[in-house]
Amino acid sequence: MSPMKLCVPGDKLCSTEDCIPGTGVYLRHGYIYSSLAGYVLRKNEGEEVRGVVAAVGRRVRHVIQLPVISVVRETETQLLPDVGAIVTCKVTSINPRYAKVHILYVGSTPLKDRFRGTIRKEDVRATEKDKVETYKSFRPGDIVLAKVISLGDVQSNYLLTTAENELGVVVAHSETGVQMVPISWCEMQCPRTHNKEFRKVARVQPEYLQA
Amino acid sequence: MAGLELLSDQGYRLDGRKATELRKVQARMGVFAQADGSAYLEQGNTKALAVVYGPHEMRGSRSRTLHDRAVINCQYSMATFSTAERKRRPHGDRKSTEMSLHLKQTFEAAVMTQLYPRSQIDIYVKILQSDGGNYSVCVNAATLAVIDAGIPMRDYVCACTVGFVDETPLADLCYAEESGGVSSLALALLPRGGQIALLQMDARLHQDHLETLIEAAMTACKGVSKVLDQVVRQHLEEVSMLTGE
Repeated sequence: MSPMKLCVPGDKLCSTEDCIPGTGVYLRHGYIYSSLAGYVLRKNEGEEVRGVVAAVGRRVRHVIQLPVISVVRETETQLLPDVGAIVTCKVTSINPRYAKVHILYVGSTPLKDRFRGTIRKEDVRATEKDKVETYKSFRPGDIVLAKVISLGDVQSNYLLTTAENELGVVVAHSETGVQMVPISWCEMQCPRTHNKEFRKVARVQPEYLQA
Repeated sequence: MAGLELLSDQGYRLDGRKATELRKVQARMGVFAQADGSAYLEQGNTKALAVVYGPHEMRGSRSRTLHDRAVINCQYSMATFSTAERKRRPHGDRKSTEMSLHLKQTFEAAVMTQLYPRSQIDIYVKILQSDGGNYSVCVNAATLAVIDAGIPMRDYVCACTVGFVDETPLADLCYAEESGGVSSLALALLPRGGQIALLQMDARLHQDHLETLIEAAMTACKGVSKVLDQVVRQHLEEVSMLTGE
């Protein structure tokens, strides 16, 4: 790996004809400038730009691959939950209409600070939305995998949904305080007391199952 | 007035500098481990400490959330021991509130807030020793702190306070010069593009001299930007050495 170049905010890196902007950079007047203090990273898996060239009456398509240029730092900058991102959150309170959660991880990156989110009753599952009871889907203290559907408006928090098979409760503790084992998409069982409790359980990805 | 000569005949100022000479700048980044970004900057005898937190979820009044940008919240305060006489009211007085507002305006021009909708970035600056050019030193320290926090910015923000004495612009005023009845102008500049982020003056100056004064301020800011650039590059190299790259 060639020694990486240091750059500071405002450094002109290259023009938009040579590279495609990635993260940590911005465009101005057809040039790419750095917006962070860090190292310049040039990756060659850029987008393919197809150009159509008319040559001697024939149309020849040629593919140009532009490298992606981005600036990276040692420590990762704070990531914000974006629309469509899978987030890991902890349920803080429930209500017949919605459940309030604290977003802890975005993807696999932990957040330094907790963001607040809401899972509405109609976003808990995809079918039979009107018959959902939040008390039977989540409980305070559960760890839930959800997807961000909206950043919310001025008054509300991030809006999340668990209306997919892979989304829902991942870790839950029973009333006795023991971690429960999922038995179906809507039930979990306590290994000590064998009590079944209702939750909206996330389907475990096949790669994580030890058969 | 007899005695204090702000600019002598040989062209020397009260502290021995020439008219366009800046004070010595010393700075360190990453002073605090707990904050997201921090910096300590000394410009002559003026010392400032800047701390940045964020971007994080909006705290306090949620109604101030902006749906497409981050809100920058600045707080300027002076330590009680920073001035010659013990300061009675370090926060909340009119001057601090005005400075906080100016800092907010300055950084809203440089920080790329569109990348962090519905969140808040906090910049806290504290003056530990005040010897003139408070606003400029705050801006310079806060720039380093924002870079340390990894918040994307268009460019550095460099600031300098200049004054006009005997038809000559003086760069980087100290307290004696500021209180000696000099028309002072504070300028915050984005050096590479030559864009002015904030220009502040509340003194009397003849219209003809304004152009010269702004030019002198821009040159001084570019000088400051070179020093800050060196500090940032050195800090980056130190950090990469520690992480073993």
